[in-house]
Amino acid sequence: MQFTAYQIVTPLISFIAVTYAWNLVLRQRKTIWEAILWSMFWGTIAYIALFPDALDYLTAATGIKDRENAVVVTFLGIISFILFYLIIRIEEMEQRQTRVIRKLALKDLDKK
Amino acid sequence: MKIAAVIPAYNEGDRAGKVVEDALQYVDMVIVVDDGSSDDTAAIAKKAGAIVLSHIQNCGAGAATMTGIEAARQLGADCIVTLDADEQHSPEDIPALLAPIQSDEADIVFANRFGQKNRIPFIRRFFNSIGNMITFAATGKWVSDSQCGFKVFGPKAAMQVNLRMSGYEFCTEIVRECAQHHWRTAQVPAKVVYSEYTLAKGQSFANGVKTALRILLRSFLR
Repeated sequence: MQFTAYQIVTPLISFIAVTYAWNLVLRQRKTIWEAILWSMFWGTIAYIALFPDALDYLTAATGIKDRENAVVVTFLGIISFILFYLIIRIEEMEQRQTRVIRKLALKDLDKK
Repeated sequence: MKIAAVIPAYNEGDRAGKVVEDALQYVDMVIVVDDGSSDDTAAIAKKAGAIVLSHIQNCGAGAATMTGIEAARQLGADCIVTLDADEQHSPEDIPALLAPIQSDEADIVFANRFGQKNRIPFIRRFFNSIGNMITFAATGKWVSDSQCGFKVFGPKAAMQVNLRMSGYEFCTEIVRECAQHHWRTAQVPAKVVYSEYTLAKGQSFANGVKTALRILLRSFLR
C-alpha cells in the first residue's frame, strides 16, 4: 500500500492534536469527556485520510464528486474555520471586558 | 463555617429586597451583584442588609455570579450559596442544601426543582430537559436540574470554582467544573415559585439556542 503525503501528514496532525488534548487533561485544563470528543473528531479525520473510500457514501449522497463541488466544500471548510476563530476571539475580548468590570466592582469592596 | 449568599441581580428592584431579607436568616452575609441595572436594585438590596457590588455594565448572570463568588472569597466565606433575585427560589431551602456540605458528604449541592411536587409549566420542564441533555453532552455528567441557579459550594468548590462564561451558560460550566475538579455532588429537592413575572422573564427560544451553541462550541474548542 502506497501512501500519499496527505495520508501521512493528516494522521500525524491528528496524533499531535489528540496527544495535546490528553496532555491538557493531565494538566487539568480539559475534562476527560472533552478529550474523548476531541479524540473522536481527530480520529475520524485520520481515518478518512487513511481510508478515503470511507467517504464514498458521503460523496454519493452529497454529490461532491466533481472538482467544482470539491472546491466549494473546501472553501466552506476554510470559512467555518475563520468563523470559529473569530468567535473565539470575540469571546476572549468579552472575557477581558468582564474581568475589567469585575475588578472595578471588587475595588468598591476594598473601600467598604 | 462562614456562609455567604451570592445573588446576581439585574433590574430586580421590586424583588431583591425581600430575597436579601429572607436569605439573611440563614447565612452570615448576602452579596448582591447588581449587573448594570437601570433601576434601584442596588439601593434596595443595600437597604435590606446586603453587601452590594455593581457592574458598570450588564455582563450576564454568569459574570455577576463569579463577581459575587470572588467577593465572598475575599470576605473569608467558606461556603457559598447562589440563588436568583426574582423570588423564584425559597431561601427556606438553604439549610437543606447546606446539610450535605456540613456533613462533608458533598463539595457542591444542586437544588433540584423537579425533585419534589412543584407547579412547573410543561414548556419549562421541556427546555430544562434539553438543557440537561446538552450539559450531559458537553460535560459527561448528569445533573437532574443543571440549569437551576440555586446551588451551594462547599469549601473545596468555593475555592476552586472559576467561571469564564458570562451568560446563562455558566450553569453548564459549573457542572463542567464538577467533572474537572472531581467534586462530590449532591442533589436536594427544592421549592420553586413561578410567578407571572418569572415566567415572562424566562429566556427566549432564540436565546436558548444561542446558549446551547455556545456551550457545545466552547466545550469542543476549549
